[in-house]
Amino acid sequence: MTARAPLDYADAVIDLRPGADEELIRATARAFARERLAPAMRRHEERRGVDSEIVRAYRDLGFATMEAPEAAGGQGLSLFAKAIVLEEIGAGDPAASFALDGAGPALGALVELGENDLLRRIPHDPDLRVGVVYDPASALVLEGEAITGTHPWAPVPARGCAAVVVIRGDRLVLVREGVRCTPVDACGLAASGACRLDFERAPVESATLDAAAIARALAHARIWCAAVLVGAARAASEYAIRYAQERVAFGRPIAHHQGLAFLLVDMATAVDAARLLVWRAAAVPGNARDAAWAFAEAAEQALFVAPNAVQALGGHGFMKDHPVEKWMRDIRTLAQAAGGRDEAELTAALAEAGA
Amino acid sequence: MIDLDPGPAIAAQLERVRWLGREFLRPLGIEADRRGTAIPADHPFFQTAWDSGIGQLRLDEADERPRGERMAARRGVLLAEEMAYWDRGAAVALPGPGLGEPPVRRMGTPEQRRRFLGPFADPSRPRWAAFAMTEPAAGSDVAAIRTTARRDGDAWVLNGAKTFISNAIRADWIVVWATVDAQAGRAGHRAFVVEGSTPGLEDMRAEHKMGLIAYESASFTLRDCRVPAANLLGGEDHYESRAGFKGAMASFNATRPAIAVMAVGIARAAYDAARDFARAHYTLARPIPRYHRIAEKLARIARKVEAARLLCWRAATLADVEVPNQVEASMAKAFAPAVAQEATSLALEVLGDAGVRSDHYVEKLYRDVKAMDIVEGTGQIQRVVIARRLLGYPSQP
Repeated sequence: MTARAPLDYADAVIDLRPGADEELIRATARAFARERLAPAMRRHEERRGVDSEIVRAYRDLGFATMEAPEAAGGQGLSLFAKAIVLEEIGAGDPAASFALDGAGPALGALVELGENDLLRRIPHDPDLRVGVVYDPASALVLEGEAITGTHPWAPVPARGCAAVVVIRGDRLVLVREGVRCTPVDACGLAASGACRLDFERAPVESATLDAAAIARALAHARIWCAAVLVGAARAASEYAIRYAQERVAFGRPIAHHQGLAFLLVDMATAVDAARLLVWRAAAVPGNARDAAWAFAEAAEQALFVAPNAVQALGGHGFMKDHPVEKWMRDIRTLAQAAGGRDEAELTAALAEAGA
Repeated sequence: MIDLDPGPAIAAQLERVRWLGREFLRPLGIEADRRGTAIPADHPFFQTAWDSGIGQLRLDEADERPRGERMAARRGVLLAEEMAYWDRGAAVALPGPGLGEPPVRRMGTPEQRRRFLGPFADPSRPRWAAFAMTEPAAGSDVAAIRTTARRDGDAWVLNGAKTFISNAIRADWIVVWATVDAQAGRAGHRAFVVEGSTPGLEDMRAEHKMGLIAYESASFTLRDCRVPAANLLGGEDHYESRAGFKGAMASFNATRPAIAVMAVGIARAAYDAARDFARAHYTLARPIPRYHRIAEKLARIARKVEAARLLCWRAATLADVEVPNQVEASMAKAFAPAVAQEATSLALEVLGDAGVRSDHYVEKLYRDVKAMDIVEGTGQIQRVVIARRLLGYPSQP
């Protein structure tokens, strides 16, 4: 061999593939989502809740608090692995995600607040829910050690939550009592519940003023929502692609008309672009800007994909016989959680401004 | 877990590209843009680059089949982004066999590889080669090329016209694609090495472009151009078994992500220019509405650039591990230039009215980056490629 000596890249690898252990986790989550969640999505929507046995099955799989430290009853697994699970859940039924997880996007805040007892109970109690409200402008009034005010919507059940976390600009606060949950009709995510929250001098049980802790909690919430958004967008994109290959118009599958073909291709690409930013943020968690990017991209792309998935099905897309109309509503609703796109883009903009 | 760290071995190579870019590519690219003509072939920089090994092959390489290298595609996208960040036009102008190399290496006989790539191991002077497929009436539709090849004794006679051919004017030789049977589509295609001095290679002229001025995009005519039979790449035998070759090459694509990531590099340059301008001229943290819009634009550019980069990295990762990546490579190529165009446009807006002034550089990037959505398969062609695989979209709708 006269070849030049190969350069030594043994230690140098960019690799955008999940590991074998993560693929195993994905396979488990995907099977659960397909076999248990997806078939029940309309029933869960109708009754505005997820069957207890399905929640129990999910929590028995260990997914609910997998990314929490072991001291808090979690498994100390990576947020990256959790993001993979959440994408599958989102692809099965995004509306169920909050109910399945229990804490969901509040988990980061619970960890920061040291609420280990609460976290430890989640895997064993399918009825346990923790709500989270992002209130950057402090619309909720903190007087003494109590919170008063109304938050218009949160995906929580009518029976209420074991605790509600309020993420404010200046502090993280947890309350257990004094929060009245009044069911409201909402655009989507019905299976996880939808309530107006009235804080009636709700006593603060725990709090932190640590800005870094607040940022980490918010970053977790954003990555959590973004991962579910990617899954929901993927499901919508794949459903539209399947439909468009079967539906015939003008003598050929509608997917073979270039106007729709290009749109479907752009939808699939949008899902992948969003996923990669979610993975990037989840692989190195805690970075406020990266998490904001993940949410902003996932929301933007999912909001592009979902209405176009309905469009691909034409009149059928508008009907409840197909799930795309539900995904469109769920995505619109989920993209509003954790402060929505505006707050995520604001976080990223503030990072640019050096503020 | 995914890994986003390029690692130390590549970091050293990137550092070298940064030096080359800062010292030469960027200033020469700007100079060429202002002058309106390419960096001349006799510019001392090319000799300097050649002396430092850029574009030069080693003799043993000239006679070698391409070998798999574990990081080749990923190294390729990292270095390509960095080159394009400093100046994509000047990077294309760098000496070396360029796009002419892959067909000679993959299709050429050992004798042809020695004869055409061997001189690129000669340290005395910089050399270029070129690749000519595109014609005035055949771009994306490659099967539509009309340059003909007719056998005549011990030579082939070429007739036709080629256009948008990078570095053709200064090339020692050009790989020219022609058809022996226009009705046969790609099956009728043949590749010839046409040496620069061949009679009948005529009307060589540089096109006037909107951007990427630093290298020449040339057009030329082949008028009864007699090419020795020995210059048919691979010989007659090669084209008998071409289907197998094409099939093997089609599965793992490392070129598209490397081209796509150049759009990322250009967009990153626009981001840096806009950010630096904003820092110098505005106090973004002040509660001024326009300042807030500027911060939002910078954030959007940064996010989109990162998403595009990751799509390129993913496609390159798959190429390296020999997992079929046609869809991923085309997604990168469709997505990155599109967001890079938005990014350069937003960056221009950040500068306000100054953004349109040529001395502020961003408008050059806005012009340069447009080409990335056209070369190596337009955004539309990439969507067709993806649609074929994802949707069963027919090849001839």
